[in-house]
Amino acid sequence: MGKKRKHSEAEVTAPVKNDEGAPQRPERTLLGWKDKVEEKESDSTAFRNKEKVLVTCSRRINYRYRHLMMNVVSLLPHCKKDNKVESKESKGATLNELVELKGCSSCLFFECRKQKDLYLWMAKCPNGPSVKFLVNAVHTMEELKLTGNHLQGSRPLLTFSTNFDKDPHWKLLKEMIMQIFGTPKDQRKSKPYHDHVFVFSIVDDHIWFRNYQISVPHNEADKVDRGGLDKMTLVEVGPRFCLNPIKIFGGSFGGQTLYENPFYVSPNQIRALEKKQKAGKYAKKVKAKKRRKMHEISNPMEPDEFADMWKE
Amino acid sequence: MGILKKELVLSNKDAVNDDGEENPEVDVSESESEDEDVKLTERSKTSVYNRDGLLDKLGDISWPKDVDWRHRLSLDINQEQEVDVNDDLARELAFYTQALEATRQAFVKFQSMQLPFLRPSDYYAEMVKTDSHMVKVKGRLLAEKRKIEEAEERRKARESKKIAKEVQAQKLKERAKQKKEEIESVKKWRKQRQRNGFEKDDQMGLTFEDGKTFEKSTKKRPGVGPADRSGGKANRVGWKGKKGGAGGKKGRDFKDSKFGFGGRKGMKKQNTAETTNDIKSFNKKMRQALLYGHLSQNEKRLAELALIENFGFLASYLIIDVEIAIA
Repeated sequence: MGKKRKHSEAEVTAPVKNDEGAPQRPERTLLGWKDKVEEKESDSTAFRNKEKVLVTCSRRINYRYRHLMMNVVSLLPHCKKDNKVESKESKGATLNELVELKGCSSCLFFECRKQKDLYLWMAKCPNGPSVKFLVNAVHTMEELKLTGNHLQGSRPLLTFSTNFDKDPHWKLLKEMIMQIFGTPKDQRKSKPYHDHVFVFSIVDDHIWFRNYQISVPHNEADKVDRGGLDKMTLVEVGPRFCLNPIKIFGGSFGGQTLYENPFYVSPNQIRALEKKQKAGKYAKKVKAKKRRKMHEISNPMEPDEFADMWKE
Repeated sequence: MGILKKELVLSNKDAVNDDGEENPEVDVSESESEDEDVKLTERSKTSVYNRDGLLDKLGDISWPKDVDWRHRLSLDINQEQEVDVNDDLARELAFYTQALEATRQAFVKFQSMQLPFLRPSDYYAEMVKTDSHMVKVKGRLLAEKRKIEEAEERRKARESKKIAKEVQAQKLKERAKQKKEEIESVKKWRKQRQRNGFEKDDQMGLTFEDGKTFEKSTKKRPGVGPADRSGGKANRVGWKGKKGGAGGKKGRDFKDSKFGFGGRKGMKKQNTAETTNDIKSFNKKMRQALLYGHLSQNEKRLAELALIENFGFLASYLIIDVEIAIA
């Protein structure tokens, strides 16, 4: 190990020389090479969607929910999948740090409790609102009845039912879903062409998600044949799930409660209810027997005329 | 039953029903077959609804209003009817129509922008489901199709069998009827004739006397269609291959050969006491020699030689025995 040379620690910061002489390389875009001169729309103040979603789950997650998570990862090219987080870390602060570490602007956290119930947290970080959903009716893409297929990473069309505009909490949810599930334009991993559509609709105060592949007979890439729009068919690709909003918080993974679903009953309570319904069976039976006995004693039957007929 | 007890936080006028009920009824309704979803039919009085806060946050996170639609790619479709959650078909149909409507609108927009939005047929790229998975899907679809087709075929076969049976029954009936009719008519004719005392033969106006009734059909093989390739043997009753040498006339010959005139030699005894003394099968000379034996020495010797010539050496012993017996 040679001695470390002591040389002056003067930082030599060579100023970056902007070579104005050499012509700049044409910009590479998805549609080909474009010279910088031709840029009209993309000024420096134009809107650029830099959304990045962090997708994680808790430990002890069920196989079905894990597959659902993997499916969601494959649907969103602008997501980053991360390792499982410990159950202690699923409280607020650590998750926020994780999201910041990865440089993401939102998070989808799949929390599985008792290996039976799946909760989905949708949060905009660092200070955006967050929502906790209970997920029902999960069907993954691997089911053979869901026969469609589409390009991986192509930008989806998002459709919302007009119910979303009725209440402020639905409006907020719609905005969050649009930002999280919509692939940013010109995202690095996204593919061109639009060949699938997401459906979000509110039925019975639940948000239902469907993903369909669009198949329309066409010859050219930018025009549909005249009757083509009528012959369009949609094939379901999957996955399918149903979200039941529980609470909306003002901060990311915590903060002031902005909205609570009044109709929500937690799955634990449902199970407890069921058990209670079954619990009183024996006691009820004993009571019924006693009641019958009392009734018999209080209303004695008339002596039967034919009781002695067959007596020897 | 436990009530959700939370602190009352009502910051704004909202739609909470304040009806003073202690126990909100719990309506156990199954929205999906997998998870039972229990809903409170009455709103819990104590839920939070911070309208202003929600709208604030919405303003925070929304994108600017003038963002090009191509960034959002979102469409709003009106859901006209209230869909019952538990009716699976109606619900899925509603989703499907929503998606279809939205795609149509989107495509119209895309077309006006004149940018490529449809995938060309030769664009090969990674798909969201692997090829092996799609092969499985295809296999399953084909299997279903085949099942349906087989069920159809089976049903058709059953029906056609029924019909064929009916037709057959009809035919038999008709034939029997015809036969009966013919016999009846012959009987009638006879009676008529008897009554009239076998006179006026020529004045009988019976229809069957045109000479054609007893005409044999010129068909050489009735009951066999011209396109029959089985040689007329397909419809024979009890035809199941050869039965003991193909029945019919051959059967008689066959039986005769087997059993006629005492039957075959087969497994019978050959060398018994009776057959030894049986001289019927020898020729005349031999018989006489054996029977009578009064031949001179020369004749005997000749006979012996003849015997040996004809029947071998051992036959000569026959003469000696016979001689001894006679003598």
